[in-house]
Amino acid sequence: MADDERERRTRRPRGRVGEGGRRLHSAGSAIVVSTLALVLSALLNAPGLHKSATIQPEGWKRNLALAFTEPLESASEALFLDRPRRGLKAAIGRSDDDDIDTGVAAPEQPPATEVPAEPLPPPRREAFSPKKQLRLWIAGDSLVVVPGQSLLRAIGSSPVIEPVGEIDGRIASGLERPDVFNWFERTREVMREERPRAVVLMLGANDDHDFMTGLPEGTELDGFASPTWTAEYRRRVAAIMDSVTRGGAYLVWIGLPITRDPEQTARFDTINSIVQTEAEKRPGRASYLDTYFYFAGTDGGYAQYISDDSGALVKMRADDGVHFERAAGDRIAREVLKQLYQRHDLTSWRRATG
Amino acid sequence: MLFPTATFAIFFMVVLPVSWLLMPRGERWRPFIVAASFVFYSAWDWRFVLLLAASIVWNQLFGHAIHSRERPRDRKLLLAGAVAGNLALLGYFKYVGFFVASTNNLFAWLGVDVPLEARSVVLPVGISFFTFMGISYVVDVYRRDFEPVGLGTFAAYLSFFPHLVAGPIVRPGELIPQFGSPRDPRYVDTSRAFFLIGTGLFMKVVISNHLASSIVDDVFGAPNRHSSLDVLVGIYAYAVQIYADFFGYTNIAIGIALLLGFQFPQNFDAPYTATSIRDFWRRWHMTLSRWLRDYVYIPLGGNRGGRLFTSRNLLLTMLIGGLWHGAGWTFVAWGGIHGLALVAERWWRDRPGYVEKPATAWSLAWKRIATFHVVCFAWIFFRSESFADAWDLIVRLFTAWGEPTELVTGGVLLAIAIGIGSQYLPTRVPLSLMTRFSRLPVPAQAVVLSVALLGVHALGPEGVAPFIYFQF
Repeated sequence: MADDERERRTRRPRGRVGEGGRRLHSAGSAIVVSTLALVLSALLNAPGLHKSATIQPEGWKRNLALAFTEPLESASEALFLDRPRRGLKAAIGRSDDDDIDTGVAAPEQPPATEVPAEPLPPPRREAFSPKKQLRLWIAGDSLVVVPGQSLLRAIGSSPVIEPVGEIDGRIASGLERPDVFNWFERTREVMREERPRAVVLMLGANDDHDFMTGLPEGTELDGFASPTWTAEYRRRVAAIMDSVTRGGAYLVWIGLPITRDPEQTARFDTINSIVQTEAEKRPGRASYLDTYFYFAGTDGGYAQYISDDSGALVKMRADDGVHFERAAGDRIAREVLKQLYQRHDLTSWRRATG
Repeated sequence: MLFPTATFAIFFMVVLPVSWLLMPRGERWRPFIVAASFVFYSAWDWRFVLLLAASIVWNQLFGHAIHSRERPRDRKLLLAGAVAGNLALLGYFKYVGFFVASTNNLFAWLGVDVPLEARSVVLPVGISFFTFMGISYVVDVYRRDFEPVGLGTFAAYLSFFPHLVAGPIVRPGELIPQFGSPRDPRYVDTSRAFFLIGTGLFMKVVISNHLASSIVDDVFGAPNRHSSLDVLVGIYAYAVQIYADFFGYTNIAIGIALLLGFQFPQNFDAPYTATSIRDFWRRWHMTLSRWLRDYVYIPLGGNRGGRLFTSRNLLLTMLIGGLWHGAGWTFVAWGGIHGLALVAERWWRDRPGYVEKPATAWSLAWKRIATFHVVCFAWIFFRSESFADAWDLIVRLFTAWGEPTELVTGGVLLAIAIGIGSQYLPTRVPLSLMTRFSRLPVPAQAVVLSVALLGVHALGPEGVAPFIYFQF
């Protein structure tokens, strides 16, 4: 036994082979190969790693990641090691994946006057038909996906509503962090290219933090819900609403729901109130859909299971206490459709075609 | 802490050398690996660690208590207590809402008002996996297949981070003996480990995520917006997505364990090449199939009774297997479809005068296609959130041929082809690749791996979706 141990310590590894004749290596070799491979792949993937670090939530982890990835990206560029990744991205048509865009593109505001401008009168109720379809864009963070799917299902093969592509749901995105996903640019792009006449948005669930990127020069924030934060967030909500409404579309903004965490619910209330007041400034052009009481239990607090219209107790909320289950999506979709039908005439074409 | 993230890479690059350094001294290695596993698990929620620790203590106490008793009645009672505790834990965290809602609705249907409150409970990641492993430990001790071990060794077994959150479900006899003797640091199957990790990352990050975001989520989310061809390809895509996701995760887990010096059992063996549903369950999530066979099907009586009795046991086992996957009737239906198919196959084979004909290429192809489509049909229920959704999808599959196809792209078809085609590769191909890799010098191995990581990182979508099996 002692001899075996001595032999184990002193002998160089013999060339033992495994299945198929492959050579077995020492644990030291495994550690060296793993370390070298990770270092080299970090250099090869440096632009992507730097973006991943940048879009993290604010905090020491982000600072640490940035402190590591910024010089890494510089070294990668200097050694031309970023080229294979950029080439690969270009080959699959995703050249801008690693770009970090923090621009908050807001439509130009009318010049300020001494008398506060009256809200524009509501536009007339427009009629749509199979020949003149209502183009609908559904977008937002991960929360929009389930209600969006319910909405698409509810629309079904309706000849009068035409969705613009699939649901534009972007995980972890919001208005605080255009570097994660730039909704300001995306909204302008969709309004310009797809010309939707109705837009359903659900944003804000990832915006309950102190930190924002893309701040105007000289602006500093004092923390979530502070006057400076509120003013900047209001500016961003207004920018999105203006992009949509000035593009000629009616906007339904779905409010954030009650969640399992009461503190998070309180933060969501702050965001909801900003969205709600901004929507009220645009009567007939934008509306806010309050979802709070759809998903409150009998005690007014959060509930995962809630009775549906038939009285059956159904699971409304996902296990994470934030996202929706299908039944919840269906409930929201019904309300959204109700608003679309109130705002636009989507049925008279039936009478006309008789 | 997801495997395909920089956080895990950093965590593992600390654990790997320290684990090998401490390996010769088990009394130091065991607390270290338990602590590392707790850190890994606490990345989801530190409170989950308390649950895991409670499961360790519970099963360890009962394991020793069962072992120390001689009277069969005492042993049986203790076993019942141990299993009941495990199932109560699982039942509370995973099924309480489902059962309360189902009970309420059943009574409401009968016209009786039962004001039960369905509580909102956070589902701890991987609870189904470590609960099943805990049960297998106490049952194996009860059967005298295995003697209980010390707390440190058992804690290392149950919490070992490579298998902790999504398996494979490793039996005590497969892993605990490996903890008993130090792994030899001179002979590590690194080329197999790196191959498994590389293919696992590719399947998860590139294939599974691409299919999910390109077609599956859209088709299952709103089938009535899509053509029959979209729906059909969407179903195939989901079959490949869930395989790529779970096979990918398992490969990474097995590879990581190998780098640490430990062998895990195989969990997949080209399941979509199966020629029957029975064959499928010998190839799909093999460690769960074994678990269900040894701890559910055989205790129920297995095939020791008549045909009806055996059929009942098969069906019950698969229904339980379905419910294990999720607290929903659609999962039960998925298990039921597999159970009925298994029963039907058994009755077909056992009918008087049946003789197995020699397999031909055509008969094999036909059986594979038929089996794959039965499996795909069952996946519809597994993926759908309700029977109404599943029905909508099935109806759409037959009623919208000729409508424009929007989701079937070259990328989707390529991903499906890779997901299925890779299962038909002769085993000599990966073996040959591993052998060639193993003979490369160390720097060349590192270069090959880093290029593979470049491909995975660049081709995968931004962000990494959680593994599907985490929710089970």
